[in-house]
Amino acid sequence: MAFEPKRPQKKLDYQELRLFTDEELKNYTEEEEKNFKIKHDIPELEQLESGPWPSFVADAKRYALRRRKLGQDNLLINQDVVEDLLGQVELSYVHGETHWKHGGIVGVIGYGGGVIGRYSDVPEQFPGVAHFHTIRVAQVPSKFYDTDFLRGLCDLWEYRGSGLLNMHGSTGDIILLGTFTDQLEPIFQELAQVLDVDLGGSGSNLRTPECCVGKARCQYALYDTQEMCYEMTMHYQDELHRPAFPYKFKFKFDGCPNGCVASIARADLSFIGTWRDDIRIDQDAVQGYINGEFPPGGGSHKGRDWGKFDIYEEVINRCPTGCMSLEGGKLVIDNANCTRCMHCINTMPRALKPGKDTGVSLLFGAKAPILEGAQMSVLVIPFMKAEPPYDNIKEIIDKTFEWWMEEGKNRERLGETIQRVGLQRFCDVLGVPPAPQMVKEPRSNPYIFWKEEDVPGGFKRDINDYRSRHAR
Amino acid sequence: MEELKKAIVEFCESGKTKTKFYFKDIEKAVKDKVPGAKTLQIKKACSALINEGVLIYYSTGSTTMYGLKGKGITEDH
Ligand code: HEM
Ligand code: HEM
Ligand code: SF4
Ligand code: SF4
Repeated sequence: MAFEPKRPQKKLDYQELRLFTDEELKNYTEEEEKNFKIKHDIPELEQLESGPWPSFVADAKRYALRRRKLGQDNLLINQDVVEDLLGQVELSYVHGETHWKHGGIVGVIGYGGGVIGRYSDVPEQFPGVAHFHTIRVAQVPSKFYDTDFLRGLCDLWEYRGSGLLNMHGSTGDIILLGTFTDQLEPIFQELAQVLDVDLGGSGSNLRTPECCVGKARCQYALYDTQEMCYEMTMHYQDELHRPAFPYKFKFKFDGCPNGCVASIARADLSFIGTWRDDIRIDQDAVQGYINGEFPPGGGSHKGRDWGKFDIYEEVINRCPTGCMSLEGGKLVIDNANCTRCMHCINTMPRALKPGKDTGVSLLFGAKAPILEGAQMSVLVIPFMKAEPPYDNIKEIIDKTFEWWMEEGKNRERLGETIQRVGLQRFCDVLGVPPAPQMVKEPRSNPYIFWKEEDVPGGFKRDINDYRSRHAR
Repeated sequence: MEELKKAIVEFCESGKTKTKFYFKDIEKAVKDKVPGAKTLQIKKACSALINEGVLIYYSTGSTTMYGLKGKGITEDH
C-alpha cells in the first residue's frame, strides 16, 4: 500500500532556509587550521587525538575555528561554546569528576519531553557552556532525509546552538548538543513551523519510536515497519509529549528476526516481523548452493576463502532447533519446530524465503542495566497480523500502558514490573494464554503455573481415598 | 475536571519540603480524594494545569516530575 501522510508534507528548499553563505560555511584555510589553538590548554583531551581513530577532539577544534571566524555578530549564543566545552571536559578529566549539573525546568511550552537541561557548575570559568541543554529532534522512520532538510537544520543549529550534533543518539533521535534556555522556544518554533519536524521523547514518556529500513530497501521485511512506526508515533502523541508513565517506554520495530534496530535488546515493547506458515524452499537453488553456483550469504563473506560450501556445516547443523535435514538430496524443514531465527534464509537467500502469512511477534521488557541487570525482551505474543490501522495491536498496547501505569513503581521499567509480579500475571492482563516459548528452561523459571480452575477437579483431593491405594 | 485540578493543586501545595512530584504520587493522592477518578483523566487535568501555567514539568532527562510554578526550583539555576 502506498504511503499516506496524515497531514500535508512540506517541500523544503535550502536556498530559502539558508542562514550562511557558501564562503561562511567554508571560512578557514588548512594553514589556519594547523596553527589554530583554542583558548584553553587541553593536554588530556589532545592525548585522545593520538589514537588510530578519528577523534571528536580534532573535529571540535576545527569547528571552534569556524565559529571564531564566523564571529559573535553572526551567532546567537556564545561564539566560544565549543572551546569552553573542551575546556570543561578537560577539567573533568583532571578532577576525575563531572562538572555538569543534572536536570531542571527546561522545556518548550506544552511539552514534557524533548529538551534535557544541563548546566555547568563552573560557569565563571566556562561561560560558553553555562547552559548546555540538549534537544532531541524526532527522526523520520528509517532516517531518510533530504539534504535540504539536513542543511537547513545545521544552519539553524549553528546560529542558535553550539553547532554540535549527533546523528543519531541511541534513542534514534537527532541529538542537538548544547544551547541556552532563551533559545529553546525559538528553536522549537523553527523546527516545527519551518522545518516541519517534531521534538523527540525524553523523561517518563513514550520515546521516539524507531524502525529498521524495512520494505523501503530490504527483501526480508515481513511487515511495513515504516508505516507501522509512523502510525504508532502519530497515534500515541499524548504519550510521547505529556509524560505520565512510571519511567521511559520504548517501541522499536524490526522487520524480521535479523533485528537491525535490535528491538529485542532495547525496547520495552519489541515488534519483530515473523511468519506462521512454512519456509518456502526452491530445491533447485538448494542444489545450486551445494554445487557452489551461488555464493552463500549473498556473498557477504567473500573477503576470505572459507573453502567449499558445506550445507551441513553452514546450515543444517547450525539450525538452533535442529529441525532441518537432507533427505534423498532434498532439503526438509520441520516447520513446527523452526524458531524463525533467519539463519538458513540469510545463508541461502536464493533457495529459501520466509512464509507468506506474515505478521509480528510482540516481546516485552528489554532495558539496559539500572535497577536490575540488562534484560532482553521476553516473547509474550508469538504472532499477530500487522496491517493498518493496527487496531489489534493498539488494543494490546493500551492494556499494557494502563496496567503498567497502575502497577509499576516510580522509575521502574516495564520489564522490572513484569519480573516483580511475574510473567503469568502480565499474560493474564493481556489475556494471552501461556506458550512453551515463554519458558526459558524447565524448573529454574517456568513462569507459568497451573491455576486451580484450569485443573479438572481442582487441587483438592480426598487424602483417605488416596491412601487407600498408596502406602505412606 | 475542575475537581481533579483542585485536588492536584492541593496535593502539590501540601508538600512540606518536597516541591516536585512523580505522576504516580499525584495520581494516588487524587484517587484518595476523588473516588472513581481515572488515571487518564488525572493525566488530562495535569496537562491542562501545565497549559494554564499553574504546573510545570521538571525533567532530569530520564524521569519527569511535576511541580507548582513558583515553588522550589522554577527558573534556571
Ligand atoms: C509418563 C511418565 C513420565 C513422564 C511424562 C515424565 C516426565 C518428566 C519430565 C517432563 C521431566 C522433566 C524433564 C526436564 O526437566 O528436562 C522428568 C524428569 C525426571 N523424571 Fe520423569 N517422567 C515420567 C516417568 C518417570 C519415571 C517412571 C521415573 C523414575 C522411575 C522418572 C524419573 C525422572 C527423573 C529422575 C527426572 C529428573 C531428570 C533430571 O533432572 O535430569 N520419570 N520427567
Ligand atoms: C549423598 C547422596 C546424594 C547427594 C549428595 C545428592 C545430590 C543431589 C543434587 C545436588 C541434586 C541436584 C538438585 C537440583 O539442582 O535440583 C540432586 C538431584 C536429584 N537426586 Fe540426588 N543426591 C543424593 C542421593 C540421591 C538418591 C539416593 C536418589 C534416588 C534414590 C537421588 C535422586 C535425585 C533425583 C531424582 C534428583 C533430581 C531432582 C530434580 O531435579 O528435581 N539422589 N541430587
Ligand atoms: S530487521 Fe530484517 S527486515 Fe529490517 S532491515 Fe534488518 S534484515 Fe531487513
Ligand atoms: S529459520 Fe532458523 S530455526 Fe528455522 S529452519 Fe532456518 S535455521 Fe532452523
